[in-house]
Amino acid sequence: MEFDRFHHFASLLIEDDFVLTYSGYVTEDILQAIGDTLRQQLLVKSHNRNQVRNLFSVFVELMQNVIRYGDEGPQPSLSTPAQKPVGLVLVAQNGQQINLLTGNYVTNDEANALQEKVNFLNTKSAEELRQIYYERLRQPPDNASKGASIGLIEIARRSSTPLQCAIKDTGEDCCFIMIKAGV
Amino acid sequence: MEKLTLAATARTPEIIFDPAAGKLLLDGESYPEDVSRFYQPVMEAVNAYLTEAGATLTVEIKLIYFNSSSARALTELCDLFDARAADGANIQIIWFCDDDDDITREFAEDLDIDLEHVQITIAKLSEHG
Repeated sequence: MEFDRFHHFASLLIEDDFVLTYSGYVTEDILQAIGDTLRQQLLVKSHNRNQVRNLFSVFVELMQNVIRYGDEGPQPSLSTPAQKPVGLVLVAQNGQQINLLTGNYVTNDEANALQEKVNFLNTKSAEELRQIYYERLRQPPDNASKGASIGLIEIARRSSTPLQCAIKDTGEDCCFIMIKAGV
Repeated sequence: MEKLTLAATARTPEIIFDPAAGKLLLDGESYPEDVSRFYQPVMEAVNAYLTEAGATLTVEIKLIYFNSSSARALTELCDLFDARAADGANIQIIWFCDDDDDITREFAEDLDIDLEHVQITIAKLSEHG
């Protein structure tokens, strides 16, 4: 990457009042390291402890979503044989609201399934989400059922605006999926 | 029966299970990489104790944060308490949560509705202020 492109990348970030951004391989250790930093930074920026709690929760569930369902994507692979999920996360402040975006590569089927789940959850009220969450807890985890995963329901419950989801085709057998939550 | 103590880590809570005192404490954060592997030994130890005649247990849950996978493990743990209480164990659960943490309080309330032989008392989590 040339300095010009690198600077362009940096200037895009500065346009938003961003709190934190990361891009690269996503692992549980990285989740923890960024999560700790994020929580410390937010406690300084926001005096609303409930907002910090909800944001941290959304962050963990989104990152674990990337770790579980993520794909390495089309970029040149490292020499390690195991596929590692690659993702981007951006936390930006817009007035009182803090937005959290993740983007990562998943198979086309998984992207479509995730989009459907987001659309489904967006039709539900807070009380309905509470019921769906609790029902889902008592079902076996990660079976192939159509029900939304418990993590996604948690994200929907802790967000203050409807979840947004967009998919970009990569021209290969995976696509880039982006999820945006506002807390 | 031996005491089980697990020190807290960044992603897992401190666990103190003291059969002699009849106490179980979960205190801290809970978003382990492998939830089952973390909670399984705790469930096994607690279950072995609760099957003894006249077992009494006070459970204190002081989790600052737990992820959705941990919520599933906590549900299993409470179901286990309910089953052993049905067999005669004397168990009480105190769930500490922040006043403004509606979602955690609702979770504890929803669990309580399903438990027939154990009651969850909700208390204020204050010391982590």
